[in-house]
Amino acid sequence: MFRTARFAFTMARRSITRRKFRSALTILGIIIGISAVVSLMTLGIGMRSQVESTLNEMLGAGIIINSGTYGIDIPEHVQSYISQVPGVNKSIPIVMSMVYISNKPYTVVGIDPVQASEVYQVTLEDGRGLRQGDDDAVVLDSTIASNLGVKVNDTVTFSTQAGGVGKTFKVIGIIRPMAGFGQFVSIGCFITLDAAQDFFNTHDRVSSILIRLDDPNQGEQVEAILKQMFPDASILSQEEIMSNINQVMSTIDGVLLGLASISLMVGALGIMNTIMMSVHERRREIGMLKAVGGERWHVLIIFLSEALLISLIGGVFGCIFGLGGVYLIQWFVKTLGLNIIVPLLISPQILALGLIAALAVGSIAGFYPSWKAANVRPVEALRYE
Amino acid sequence: MSNVVELRDVVKTYDLGDNIKVDALRGINLTIKRGEFVSIMGPSGCGKTTLLNIIGGLDSPTDGQVIIDGIDITHMSEGELARIRREKIGFIFQTFNLVPLLTALENVQIPMIFAGRFSNSEIKERAIELLRLVGLEHRLHHRPTQMSGGEQQRVAIARALANEPSIILADEPTGNVDRETGWKIIRLIKGLNETLGQTCIMVTHDPTIAQISERIIYMLDGQIIPEPPKLTINPSSSMLADERRQMLLAELKWLEASIKGLEVRKNRLNQESYAQVKLGYEKQLERLKKVVQEEYEKRRSK
Repeated sequence: MFRTARFAFTMARRSITRRKFRSALTILGIIIGISAVVSLMTLGIGMRSQVESTLNEMLGAGIIINSGTYGIDIPEHVQSYISQVPGVNKSIPIVMSMVYISNKPYTVVGIDPVQASEVYQVTLEDGRGLRQGDDDAVVLDSTIASNLGVKVNDTVTFSTQAGGVGKTFKVIGIIRPMAGFGQFVSIGCFITLDAAQDFFNTHDRVSSILIRLDDPNQGEQVEAILKQMFPDASILSQEEIMSNINQVMSTIDGVLLGLASISLMVGALGIMNTIMMSVHERRREIGMLKAVGGERWHVLIIFLSEALLISLIGGVFGCIFGLGGVYLIQWFVKTLGLNIIVPLLISPQILALGLIAALAVGSIAGFYPSWKAANVRPVEALRYE
Repeated sequence: MSNVVELRDVVKTYDLGDNIKVDALRGINLTIKRGEFVSIMGPSGCGKTTLLNIIGGLDSPTDGQVIIDGIDITHMSEGELARIRREKIGFIFQTFNLVPLLTALENVQIPMIFAGRFSNSEIKERAIELLRLVGLEHRLHHRPTQMSGGEQQRVAIARALANEPSIILADEPTGNVDRETGWKIIRLIKGLNETLGQTCIMVTHDPTIAQISERIIYMLDGQIIPEPPKLTINPSSSMLADERRQMLLAELKWLEASIKGLEVRKNRLNQESYAQVKLGYEKQLERLKKVVQEEYEKRRSK
């Protein structure tokens, strides 16, 4: 068995190298399919990890109590009740809403400067961070700053609607942008909680309360208690948000994979065609192999290994080109000027999956022609002319 | 157990569909002794190759019984027949049928790889030894395309001997090589038959090559005919007129079929052997005409 397989692979190798052009075209078919699978899956995983880290930075908390999108109507003192719930480590009230700066919308977060570092991990690039009493100061991320063309010590004007009259803030610090989905959704604009409440005219009220847990695994229990305490509030745990996002991502993954598998199927047809031709050309050889005592499975293995070898080569190059394809997509996104950073995660699982997919396609596509070869009647194959 | 091949009333009918049936073999009874060298002769389409395929377990008879080396293979399954082929039979073909992708050494190894009887190192050693036996020790790593027809056929002979078969079946082994090479190959097969004691059954069109065998079996229209209608009939013998006429008719039919077969094969033969065989047939025909003429005159004078 092993000996036959080794012999079959010797023959497959020579058969492929003898018909170089035909083999190359067939292998190319598989390369296209596998590289599509690998690049789209790498992209999918990259996007997923991007979304996850963004959410971590944006939410910064295990549980978030919301007053609805951009509404600011949770009484601030609620926070003191929440702090007493067992399992809650810290509860931080914030105001998160939308402001217009130079007629463009941005998400602004008002937060107690002392507590900010508990939920948001930021890195300063220039200037300094917010301090207690910095009520006319703003910290921007570098993307927004460069969009607005401002530097430290410059001023920006906030208004609640486009073209409205607003309040002027002084830029005191510039931070590195946090992960996000473009400038409209990411958070890159911080003022103090007092300044925000003052600006939006919502004294003693906040838009959300971020809750940090003692133990991240206690999320469900704490959430249940909070839901009992505030039946009307919108309480989201990070896990819930994640699972919602994951569902969306899985749908996207499925669509991408579906597209990739179409090209893989075309590659499979190529293999089937090549092996069919090989079987047709080598009919006499099959007859001889049977005459010297070869059984069906001997012949089957010989032709199947040709299909497997083609798909293996296609799989290896497909993985390499697939990763190259991810770089290409990154470059493409960058030249389009989109502020989306797609991280490139080379995952060994995806590469293994690419190879397994290639071999599966090869064996499935190669089986029918190999089976035909295995069932060639030697007497007919050997009859000359 | 001295009979290595025993065929009893073997019939082979090919069903070509649309109710068209071709009787390739019509009741063959044949026994071949161990170590015998037998030639099968007959015009094209007389069933020689079908007979060889049935002896070799490549084809099953429609009716009758086939016993090879004491084993009844008549009703064997495909897999069992494959085992019989690898263990008992060595095939040599007119067109050599080597795998073009493989070297001489690798081609000889194929039957041993399938059989799984020898270890890897034994297989290689044995293949080298067999190629030495056929005088090709300097061609071990050559591909078929790098070898002459004669050399290719010698590789095929080495391959046929790989699993030490009881029977060597050769279907026109000299059909694709020139006459001189053909003789070398025949002498090689004959020599191996004598030294290794394997039974050889050879199909050939060439009457001179057939002479090397101990026994010649003549076939016509799917049957074995007792004696070739040879021109040894003495017109003046005391044969009955009727009997003589039948003999002459059979002889004429044989010659006609042979000549037809020769014309069919014309392109596959080289000019020299074609001319030689054709000349032989023409001489036979001439003599046959003479015999008929004499017969005719004898009757008229009566």
